[in-house]
Amino acid sequence: MFNRSVLFFSIGLLSACQQGSMEFDLEKALSIAQKARQANRTIEEPEEIVMGNGIAANLLGTSPLFANDRAQQYVNHVGRWVSLHTERPDLPWKFGILASSDVNAFATPGGAIFITRGLMQKLNNESELAGVLAHEMAHVLRKHHLAALQKEARMGVATDLLGEALKNKNNQVLEKAIKAGTEVYARGLDKDDEFEADRMGIVIATRAGYDPFGLPAVLQMLEASNAQDSSLALMFKTHPAPRDRLSLLDKIMGSRFDTYATPAQTDKRFNSEVSRHL
Amino acid sequence: MKLIFGLFTLFWLATSACAEQTAYAVRNTEIKQQPYSDAATVARLSENASVSIVSRQGGWMRISSKAGNGWVKMLSLRGGSTATKRGDSGMQSLFNIGRTGSSGITVATGVRGLSEEDLKNAQPDPLELEKLQSYAVNKSKAEKFARDAKLKSHQLDYLHYSGNP
Repeated sequence: MFNRSVLFFSIGLLSACQQGSMEFDLEKALSIAQKARQANRTIEEPEEIVMGNGIAANLLGTSPLFANDRAQQYVNHVGRWVSLHTERPDLPWKFGILASSDVNAFATPGGAIFITRGLMQKLNNESELAGVLAHEMAHVLRKHHLAALQKEARMGVATDLLGEALKNKNNQVLEKAIKAGTEVYARGLDKDDEFEADRMGIVIATRAGYDPFGLPAVLQMLEASNAQDSSLALMFKTHPAPRDRLSLLDKIMGSRFDTYATPAQTDKRFNSEVSRHL
Repeated sequence: MKLIFGLFTLFWLATSACAEQTAYAVRNTEIKQQPYSDAATVARLSENASVSIVSRQGGWMRISSKAGNGWVKMLSLRGGSTATKRGDSGMQSLFNIGRTGSSGITVATGVRGLSEEDLKNAQPDPLELEKLQSYAVNKSKAEKFARDAKLKSHQLDYLHYSGNP
């Protein structure tokens, strides 16, 4: 009975790979099936990074980088400094301003973080930028996108195959997983994942010496924006309402963040390195 | 054509300026003389009262309102006004039609991308990925960048929230 169910499962796996599955022999498929039976097999860090780079390349396929070296370098310095205050400081963190006029920000597994030029233009200082980047980093730290992928039964199979595909250079399986991974950005994450990223983002930015209210200020700006504006459409569709996010922060921040302030030097820098180039 | 463009620019400026400056109180709250909890109270702001935002300092917003001017806790305010939550002003609607046309699809120039459709049909751009990787900075550069602006690290635990959102 046990063997038969494993066999059926592996046939399912083989057909899930469709073409290109010939590289998998039955024995290998059986061993993967056994791995898949262990609930919630975690994706190892090297797999996470390869997957994330693939998704990053796809996001860049829909919007290239904003062509300004100074602004890109500035965002990388802010982001990398902030990343040193997380529990995964050694990930290959990299940051990019997307040329898109849309207002949004994205994180991919393994540490690629994007912010659109449209959102950059709405920010007032380095603390707000740090707050946005820290929110995105929290998605990476908590592996929210990978969890969203694994939730889908079909993709559960693909992510289980991913490690195997990387070892065997089975690009078709990898491509499938990356395509499905990119589609997560069209649907958005779980609401609770967004609330968690807000809670963590505030703390991470504060640890890095920034004003804790940078992220709440961005949320307040978003709330005041016209919801009919099409440049905000995807962001509003894939996130809880800014009002709800602010209410949750209002409940937990209390007065313990009142004593932190950002050095004024960061404002000068923000204006000279970024504002005038956007 | 130039005139139409100019008019829309004017509308854009007017509407975006309004959107960024107004907020309303989500609860009865005190207007303080300084951005501190123990500063003197100038006046009281009642729930739903509209304010104009002048500036921000940490968790405090400098505001002007019918009730008085001073500093209010940022999280006692929400962006926009209670009135615009119920419906757009005529000017805003006009602006939208001008910008997006009846289809609701933007015709503004410049790079857009990143729509749901774009993401579902995304094709990788390996050259841009390489460029992205070339911008990455190492730890010591990041630390120098922080020192240059006198940014200092703080020890702080994550916040936990237990309860219904």
